[in-house]
Amino acid sequence: MEIINGVRILDLCLYFVEEKVLVLGDVHIGYEEALNKEGVLVPRYQFEDIMQRLKRVFEGLDVEKVVVNGDLKHEFGTISATEWRHTLKLLEFLLSKGEVVLVKGNHDVILGPIADKKNVEVVDSVRIGEGLIIHGDKLVEIPSEVKFLIIGHEHPAVTISEYPRMEKYKCFLLGKFSGKDLVVMPSFNLVTEGTNVLQGELLSPFLEDVSNFNVFIVGEEKVYSFGKVKELN
Amino acid sequence: MMFNDKMIEYKNEPNTEKQVKKILTPLVEKWFFSRFKEFSLPQLYGVLEIHARQNVLVSAPTGATKTLTAFMAVLNELVDSAIKGILEDKVYCVYISPLKALNNDIGKNLLEPLKEMEEIHGKELGIRVAVRTGDTTQAERSKMLKNVPHILITTPESLGILLCAPKFREHLKDVQWFIADEVHALAENKRGVHLSLSMERLSYLSSHMARVGLSATVAPLEEIAKYLFGTNRDGKIIDVQFIKEMDLKVLSPVPDLINVSHEHLHKKLYEMVNKLVQQHKTTLIFTNTRAATERVVDYLKNKFPKNYNLENIGAHHGSLSAEHRKQLEQDLREGKKKVVVCSTSLELGIDIGFIDLVICLGSPKSVARALQRIGRSGHQLHSTTKGRIIVLDRDDLVECAVLLKAAIEKKIDRIHIPRHALDVLAQHLLGMAIEQVWEEDELFKTVKESYCYSNLSRVDFNELLSYLAGEFVSLEDRHVYAKIWRNKGKVGKRGRMTRVIYSMNIGTIPDRTAVKVKVGTMIVGTLDEGFLERLKPRDVFVLGGNTYEFRYAKGMAAFVTAAVNRPPTIPSWVSEMLPLSFDLAMEIQKFRRLMGGYFIAGKKKKEILEFIEKYLYIDGKTSVALYNYFNEQYKYMGMLPHDKKILVEHYADEEGRKKIVFHTLFGRRVNDVLSRMIAFALAKEGHKNVELGMNDNGFYLGLARKGQIKKALELVKKSDARAVMEQAIEGSEVLRRRFRHVAERALMILRNYMGRKKRVGMKQVSSMILMSALKRISPNFSLLKEARREVLEDQMDIINAESVLEGIKTGRVDVVEMETNVPSPFAFKVVLQGVMDVIKLEDKMQFLQRMHQLVLVKISLKQGKGKKGVVDEGFDYYEEWKKAEERLNESRDEEMEELKIEVMNLEKVPFFVKEQIVRLLEGHLDIRLDVIRELRDREKDIKKEWSKKLSKIVFKKLKEI
Repeated sequence: MEIINGVRILDLCLYFVEEKVLVLGDVHIGYEEALNKEGVLVPRYQFEDIMQRLKRVFEGLDVEKVVVNGDLKHEFGTISATEWRHTLKLLEFLLSKGEVVLVKGNHDVILGPIADKKNVEVVDSVRIGEGLIIHGDKLVEIPSEVKFLIIGHEHPAVTISEYPRMEKYKCFLLGKFSGKDLVVMPSFNLVTEGTNVLQGELLSPFLEDVSNFNVFIVGEEKVYSFGKVKELN
Repeated sequence: MMFNDKMIEYKNEPNTEKQVKKILTPLVEKWFFSRFKEFSLPQLYGVLEIHARQNVLVSAPTGATKTLTAFMAVLNELVDSAIKGILEDKVYCVYISPLKALNNDIGKNLLEPLKEMEEIHGKELGIRVAVRTGDTTQAERSKMLKNVPHILITTPESLGILLCAPKFREHLKDVQWFIADEVHALAENKRGVHLSLSMERLSYLSSHMARVGLSATVAPLEEIAKYLFGTNRDGKIIDVQFIKEMDLKVLSPVPDLINVSHEHLHKKLYEMVNKLVQQHKTTLIFTNTRAATERVVDYLKNKFPKNYNLENIGAHHGSLSAEHRKQLEQDLREGKKKVVVCSTSLELGIDIGFIDLVICLGSPKSVARALQRIGRSGHQLHSTTKGRIIVLDRDDLVECAVLLKAAIEKKIDRIHIPRHALDVLAQHLLGMAIEQVWEEDELFKTVKESYCYSNLSRVDFNELLSYLAGEFVSLEDRHVYAKIWRNKGKVGKRGRMTRVIYSMNIGTIPDRTAVKVKVGTMIVGTLDEGFLERLKPRDVFVLGGNTYEFRYAKGMAAFVTAAVNRPPTIPSWVSEMLPLSFDLAMEIQKFRRLMGGYFIAGKKKKEILEFIEKYLYIDGKTSVALYNYFNEQYKYMGMLPHDKKILVEHYADEEGRKKIVFHTLFGRRVNDVLSRMIAFALAKEGHKNVELGMNDNGFYLGLARKGQIKKALELVKKSDARAVMEQAIEGSEVLRRRFRHVAERALMILRNYMGRKKRVGMKQVSSMILMSALKRISPNFSLLKEARREVLEDQMDIINAESVLEGIKTGRVDVVEMETNVPSPFAFKVVLQGVMDVIKLEDKMQFLQRMHQLVLVKISLKQGKGKKGVVDEGFDYYEEWKKAEERLNESRDEEMEELKIEVMNLEKVPFFVKEQIVRLLEGHLDIRLDVIRELRDREKDIKKEWSKKLSKIVFKKLKEI
């Protein structure tokens, strides 16, 4: 499904058709470990799941460049051995598909060493076609030629409920910021769906009021358009 | 080994005074008779048995000297050994009670006699008594290790920790007696399950340990005895529950509970309460909920200021501070209070001094609970217990009248003991592995000695060991999750931190922090977690005098908006509502059936009244009120629903929505299951958005088109209740929260980890993540299974629901469908439960009365005695019903319309601002910032110029932004 001219939703990623660029973000490798340290003994499947899901996304896809839009790993501060290993493995996989660009996220404080090891660029933003890809935790100057923005950071999700049942789903949001189109990407973190955008309290300075944003829920095989946020409330 | 019922017997004859004296050492005998005139009945029954190390369950009312009964044989032996110089340094007796306060009391009750005996004896005996709870200081604990107490007084949780303490364990190897007090309060929840396993662990160390249980009035005694003694042990039951005289009455504040205004009813109620209180020295009032407790105290103080003030009246409930409660209990003991009002908090046996009257406002919901409450009065053994139950509506009246009968006839309703709780077992298995290395077979055998796990399957047991050993993750990650190792059929503890983690996280009581209620970022109050489970988006409730609309919950906070003009849909105290016990519900239905028989046989009023008075032990006024209620139902429907005949009423509301009322008087816990099973079947038939409301007396379903109930029932009959229900609760709030508690007990979420205590909100979020992760491993992962079991068996009552469904299946229970234009009298309360969003709470009484009038008209029309004027005008009661609903809807909308018109007519206000204000009134939160600022800046002027109503609402709504 095309969300913006020339850009398609592909599972939890965005694909720039002409430029052959795949964008994913907010992977948060090491999230389960962080939970374990908090005394929540959730078993660790995330890495396997991520690799499996990514492999499916890349199947038969013509890709020249992969952009990871921030928060590749979860931990602030030190990197654990497993995190190091998993992150490297993921990078290797992506590098086997094309050039890799890492956009710095707020959790990527010590991304440097890993990036250096694999000779991967770390930037604050990336221009692809008419779009600008930024993590979304901080406001940036938007050049006038840019027609649309893509951010991550928010981990958008929505709850659909029919009493007594409530389920949460990852989703893309499409709205506006400063007159330009804005796409908010879901996280590629498979441990949790993310933040329920129907409940206000959003993190990103790009998102003041999302009630008029369009919601696209990511299902197993399809993407479902659910209308505007305010209609879901 | 076959479980033989003969292993538990009732002791039918007490021993003689001579026989008891024979086993007492001279010092103890001397002491006893210096204090008391003679042995009490429980003592005559129990002392010899306990002396002989017999397992005993003593069931007696409060104040019946149970404690001394239990301890007399113990003290006797210790004193004897002390005098002979053979007192050893070990724990002879472990005493457990559910309340910390009780433990402190007992310390005193043992230390005093010992001191008195020492005075008589002339020198010290050296018998040590110690209390060990979470509050015990480190210094005291070390002391306990050096000077081992002979009598250890502790809580279930502390016992679990002591069993694992390598040094202290050594002193628990020859315990002679295990005394469990207030067993009835422990057996019916997971704390009791936890204790049952601790008892087995103790018995494993001290194989000849005798178990003594002290319990208040409770049923079924045989099952509680089995719980206490364990699966395969002999024991005796001493049932002296009814040795006290009982003066129990059911009272109604007004002769006619229906044709009376809310205010008048309450006025009369408080007059009655005041009169009763003034006639007695100290009164204890039970109200069932915290909100009601506060209201009653307030009302009494305001309406009778001469009689009640801060000095002589007090409120006692769980939300008040521990200091406040302790002080109040002390005041009660010293006789300083005239009346104390509580929710349920003073039901358990702490000494509260002399109470001569207990009042229950509204039904206590079970016979056992009623007797326990009333038993708080007349504390001396030979005084009469005196209780009055004051009813507040007609269903209450029927319920309490039947309850009274059951109480007088000693038919106590049964409690439910949770079976096969896998989370508690996981915690104990870990504890046991910490104690020592075990053979898995022996571990399994030991665990099954607990009655709560007598039918545990080896598969479930293995799955739990597998969980504890971290086998659900890869080898490389296992060290994080594994708390035990398994090898060649043996298990033992694994990990340096395991013992610490276990002691810091032991227990079964989940953190029930109050849920913060927030409007935006502002906290407006707190709610009980259980209430949150019942809220759906758009529900309106009252808190602290204001109405709020529920939006969503996040962690331990509920986000709401102020709902100025919307009437409440659900009372805030609903989760605090005690469920009607199943056994009592069946008794009420039996009464309905018997009444039905009289009406069907065409008996005259006089004869029926005679039956009521004889059957229910009540007097003239109350029996007439009861008769009228049943008569109305019978005349209106032509029949009375009962345990063998479920009435299903179809009617349509003003919007054409079909409502179906099921007269299933089985109690809320069963109705929770029945309603969902039928809703599920209807959903299968294609009905969408099935609305559901229920209470103890029945439930209703709301559909868009007519429901084929017979067909739905066929589907239900064919379905597996458990499978359907597991699906019905999937993804629900109640399951999620129960899962959190289960995960905590099973130590998958640690409250205390690495010295850090986790915020409850974080726990809720992370438990959801955990739940998804476990579902991935297996939908039947032990902890998921247990969460479901807890919801379906402990919170709801799937077992009795299944027996009801079985009755329907076999045709033993008939289902009769009827159409009505207006709900029948018996259905009112069930329907009101849900129709509340059309009715303001204070209009509830008016609505009830109006409907009642319609029913009466219909009845009189049927009987050909129609009111002339009414019939002539072509009176249509259905129209009346519709109009009533409409009127209430309109009055809401009309107000809003008026306000909007006023806004549009405001002078000196620009158009776009008016638009924004209208949006503000409609509840939108995204109002232009400049408008908001303007309004706030000009508040003073606005309050002068605009109508009071409008400015009040505008600024109230502004606060939410």
